[in-house]
Amino acid sequence: MNCFRLLEHTADMGIAAEGECLAALYVQAALGLRQIVTACSYIEPRTEFPVEVQGEDREELMVNWLSELLFLLESRRLLPAAFEIDTLEIDTPGDCRLRARVAGEEFDPDRHYLEREIKAVTYHRIEVEPTATGWRAQVYVDL
Amino acid sequence: MDVKVQQIDSCRWRIPREGAMRTDGLVFADRKMMAALQKEKSQALEQVRNVATLPGIVGPSIAMPDIHWGYGFPIGGVAAFDAKEGVVSPGGVGYDINCGVRLLRTELTVDEVRPRIEPLADELFRNIPSGIGSHRSDLKLSLAEERKMLTQGASWAVEHGYGRAEDLDHIEEKGTIKGADPQSISARALERGRNQLGTLGSGNHFVEVDLVEEIGDEQAASVLGLFPGQITVTIHTGSRGLGYQVCDDHLRMMQHAARKYGIKLPDRQLCCAPLTSTEGRQYLTAMACAANFAFTNRQLISAWVQESFERVLGKGPAAMRISTIYDVCHNIAKMETHMFEGKKRRLCVHRKGATRAFPPGHPDTPALYRSVGQPVMIPGDMGRYSYVLVGTQGAFDETFGSTCHGAGRVLSRHAAKKLARGRNLEAELAAHGIVIRASSRATVAEEISESYKDVLDVVSVVEQAGIGKIVARLRPLAVIKG
Repeated sequence: MNCFRLLEHTADMGIAAEGECLAALYVQAALGLRQIVTACSYIEPRTEFPVEVQGEDREELMVNWLSELLFLLESRRLLPAAFEIDTLEIDTPGDCRLRARVAGEEFDPDRHYLEREIKAVTYHRIEVEPTATGWRAQVYVDL
Repeated sequence: MDVKVQQIDSCRWRIPREGAMRTDGLVFADRKMMAALQKEKSQALEQVRNVATLPGIVGPSIAMPDIHWGYGFPIGGVAAFDAKEGVVSPGGVGYDINCGVRLLRTELTVDEVRPRIEPLADELFRNIPSGIGSHRSDLKLSLAEERKMLTQGASWAVEHGYGRAEDLDHIEEKGTIKGADPQSISARALERGRNQLGTLGSGNHFVEVDLVEEIGDEQAASVLGLFPGQITVTIHTGSRGLGYQVCDDHLRMMQHAARKYGIKLPDRQLCCAPLTSTEGRQYLTAMACAANFAFTNRQLISAWVQESFERVLGKGPAAMRISTIYDVCHNIAKMETHMFEGKKRRLCVHRKGATRAFPPGHPDTPALYRSVGQPVMIPGDMGRYSYVLVGTQGAFDETFGSTCHGAGRVLSRHAAKKLARGRNLEAELAAHGIVIRASSRATVAEEISESYKDVLDVVSVVEQAGIGKIVARLRPLAVIKG
């Protein structure tokens, strides 16, 4: 099943995601990140940004992917509405890659509400691993 | 995993060296705190032990009584590394580089300010950008100017008309960490920083108008310029997105560096590089930039605090005499000279959620405070109180001149929100004479008093251990949050 839930931690928060395939997993983790930042459900896909990230392994790729979304939020004020993953390569050790398109709209204080500021996506207890039915991940963010 | 601890006395515990540890752990805590630490699943004690495995550590891996779990190093952790044999670790500083506290004094009394506290809170909230995405429209930095600011620190702000030159004498390192090189900062860090200079941020960052409620040490209070019934202002913020990005960039680099230099890591977040390596030196120069950003940030916010007081109270600078008592970092790594086992040693002291607390007479304690020790500010929570301390010889001898930094969270955000549900938090605070302005409802709920330890318990351990001396207790009248 494709889903996510938020994990509780004394000072910070985490995301536990599941996906039927690896691409779905990375999308679910991104939805989890958005949920931490805002509970808004009315975000429209008015604009689109291409995203390309690289990592040593699928864990680093996850940290870099979510960090990229954080950067788009902070520097382009992009609230993401939808994520489309075009390519995902994890078979070359030391060179995992993800290319995606992130659709969303610019933060508008009259219509949107931001709940929390995420400082960074961390490597703490990071897990990205196959399960019997697909993939699961766990990632914590610093608030 | 259970961590073995041995009680040394009523406020000290040893984690004896075993396995890959190169030294003991030393935890400052009372019996109740230690029982809670041993029960919790967050493994803060294990993190103290992990830090003890890092190469070149000098003295024990130390934890202050406000210890709680952090990424890599625990929050409340202090560790010193030999300048030649040791390492530097971004996880030993944290994401919010030079997160710190500035305390401003005024000549105003509670009777003068309380009747105007609501409009004052409104004005501070309007004048100081807080919350996500907000910034002052009158502060626009070119890339060249941003680089200059990162090199100069708080003196850049003074040069641009924010505050006065004498403020600099009352900031740790005089508001500028030397060796800052903006070339070592990524374009992304520069971009994240440019729009966020002069902003408070959200979460536990705040500006507070406080009242001096009780004096614990009359002589020190008088030297610091504190008196009962006085109005002070506390500013708690750091290096914002620029610092987070510097940490993030260098954590990534140091994952590779640790492998390259054959450093075995019990936790990926502990990644580090030798102080003498290119990666280590690069981190220190980048960290200095972020630290200078944070000093500048607090200098700018101080100027807007002064402006807000003038507007609302209709008094000029001469009548209010707002000035900086001190500004301390509580997330930093610094090259310092310490005596260790009778020898003078050059060390890189990591303080993550810990504050420098230099003793009376130390050349780095500002001249004005040299008879009493360096001022240290320990914020509590928004509903109770905060403390002003001074550094001691005990801290210099035992903890590389360090003490605690705050209360430390005990409730998760979810648990805090659950506890806050259905309550009128504004009215509860108002009943205690505290007004609050915040841009996020979630922040107020997540920051309720119950989320934190009682900071009195923390400073009591510190005082009993002789690594800090209580000077005054402050109580909030107005709290501004992101």
